[in-house]
Amino acid sequence: MHEPAVQLDGVSFSRGTRKIFANIDMRIATGKITAVMGPSGTGKTTLLRLIGGQLLPRQGTVRVFGQQVSTLRHAELYQLRKRMGMLFQSSALLTDLDVFENVAFPLRAHTKLTERLIRDIVLMKLEIVGLRGARRLRVEELSGGMARRVALARAIVLDPEMVLYDEPFVGLDPISMGAIVRALKTINEVLRITSVIVTHDVVEVVSIADEVFLLADGRIEGHGAPHALYDDSSPWVKQFMHGLADGPVPFHYPAPSLMNDFLEV
Amino acid sequence: MIFWKYNLMQQFMDLFAALGRAVLFLFHALLLMGAALLRPRLVIKQIYSIGVMSLLIIILSGGFVGAVLAFQGYETMVDFGATDALGIMVALALLRELGPVVGALLFAGRAGSALSAEIGLMRATEQLSAMEMMAVDPMARVIAPRLLGGMLAMPLLAAIFNVVGIYGGYLIGVEVLGVDRGSFWSQIQHGVEWGKDIGNSLIKSFIFGVVVTWIAVYNGYTAEPSPEGVGRATTLTVVLSSVIVLALDFVLTAIMFGG
Repeated sequence: MHEPAVQLDGVSFSRGTRKIFANIDMRIATGKITAVMGPSGTGKTTLLRLIGGQLLPRQGTVRVFGQQVSTLRHAELYQLRKRMGMLFQSSALLTDLDVFENVAFPLRAHTKLTERLIRDIVLMKLEIVGLRGARRLRVEELSGGMARRVALARAIVLDPEMVLYDEPFVGLDPISMGAIVRALKTINEVLRITSVIVTHDVVEVVSIADEVFLLADGRIEGHGAPHALYDDSSPWVKQFMHGLADGPVPFHYPAPSLMNDFLEV
Repeated sequence: MIFWKYNLMQQFMDLFAALGRAVLFLFHALLLMGAALLRPRLVIKQIYSIGVMSLLIIILSGGFVGAVLAFQGYETMVDFGATDALGIMVALALLRELGPVVGALLFAGRAGSALSAEIGLMRATEQLSAMEMMAVDPMARVIAPRLLGGMLAMPLLAAIFNVVGIYGGYLIGVEVLGVDRGSFWSQIQHGVEWGKDIGNSLIKSFIFGVVVTWIAVYNGYTAEPSPEGVGRATTLTVVLSSVIVLALDFVLTAIMFGG
C-alpha cells in the first residue's frame, strides 16, 4: 500500500469569521485520480491552496509526499512545489509571454536543458492539448478554453508527481472537453501522476475519477468510488450527484420571504 | 473622547505596521538584486519599459521647463543687467532641483503608475500565484528586476531632463531673447561644480528612483485583486510618490546645500 500523496488530518480553516473547513480528514491516493466536488463556495479551491502551501490551516496538518507543509521553510516548500503542477481556474498564463514561452517557463526556471530539448518538450506537451500549431500566439489571442489547455500543458511540462486541477472543464466546448478528459486520464495512466481535480462537473469526473470527495458546509459529506456515490442513500449526496433542484442544499441564499421583501417600503 | 483617541492610536499603529511591511518588502527585494543581475535580460527589459518608454515625456517636459526658466529668469535679470548669468541660473535650477524633482514626478506618473497597474493585474489574474506554485519566487522574478530597472533608469532620465532643459533655456535665452551665446555657455562651464551640482543631482535622482519604484512595486504587489483594487493602487502610487518626493527633496536639499 502506497503512502498517500496528500494527507489532511483534522484540518480547520476560516476566512475572517466564515468557517471553510471544520476538522476534516482526507487521504489522496498516490497515482490515482481523485475528484473533489461540491457546490460553489465550499472551499474546493482553498483545499488546493492548502495542499500547495499557499494557505496554511488554522488547525490540523497537511502532509504532501510525507512532508508537513506548514513546517517547511521557504526553500523546502519551493522544492516540494517542483514536484507538483497546478492548473488554475483562471489559467493564470503570463501575459507578457506567448504560448510557447508560457509552457517553457518552468523548464527555463528550473532546468539547464538545451534550447533544442526545451523546444521538443514544449511541443510534446502542446501536442497533448492540441495546441502545437498555436505556439506563437499571444495570450490575449487565445479563447478561454485554449488558455486552459495551454495552462494544462504548462502544469505538466516538468512531469510532476502530482497535478492539482482547479475547474479544468469550465469554459471548454464539448469537443475540447472530451479531448481534455481523455488527456487527463492518459496523463494519469502513462505518467503515473497523482491527479486532484476540483470541479462540479459530475458527468466528466465520474468517467475518469478513481475516488470522489464531496464537500459541503466545511465537511466531507460523501466519499468513495464515483459510481457508488450515485447510489448513496444520503439525501445531500443524492441531490448533488443527480443534480436535483430539491433537497437539503438550498438553491436560494438565506433571505426573508419574497412577499415580505415586496411589501417592504 | 476615549474612543476617538483609541481610534487615532489604532490608525497610527496601522500606519507603522504598513510602513514596517513596506520596509521588509524593500529589504527582501534588495536581497534578491544579485539574483536579478544573473538574469540581465529581465533587468534590461525593465529599463526599456520603465526608462526608454518614459523618454518622450521627459524630453518634452525638460525642454519646456528649461524654456520657461529662461523666460522668467531673463525677465527678472534684465532689470539688473545680469542677463549674462542666465545660463548658470537655468543650469543650477535644473541640476539642483527641477531635473531630479520634476523628473521624479513625471517618472511616478508615467512609469510608477504603469508598474503598479501591471503588478496589480498580475496579482488579480493569479499570475503571481501561478509563479509561486511553479516554485518561481515572484519577488525575485517580478519585483527585484523592476526595482533595479527603476533605480538605474531614474538618474539617467533626470540627466536627460537636465541636458534637454539647458538646451531649451539656451534656445529661448540666446536664440530668442538675444543673450550672448559665449556668456551663456561660459557661465555654465565656470559655475557648475561636478560634485556639488552634478553629483548631488545624480544622488537625488537615484534616491527618488528607489523611492518611487519601491512605492510602485509595493502598491502593485499588495493591491486588492480586483479592478477597484488595482485602480486604488495606481492612484496611491502617484499621490504617495509625489508627496514623498517633494518632502524628501526638502530634506536632501537641506543636507546638500543647507550650509
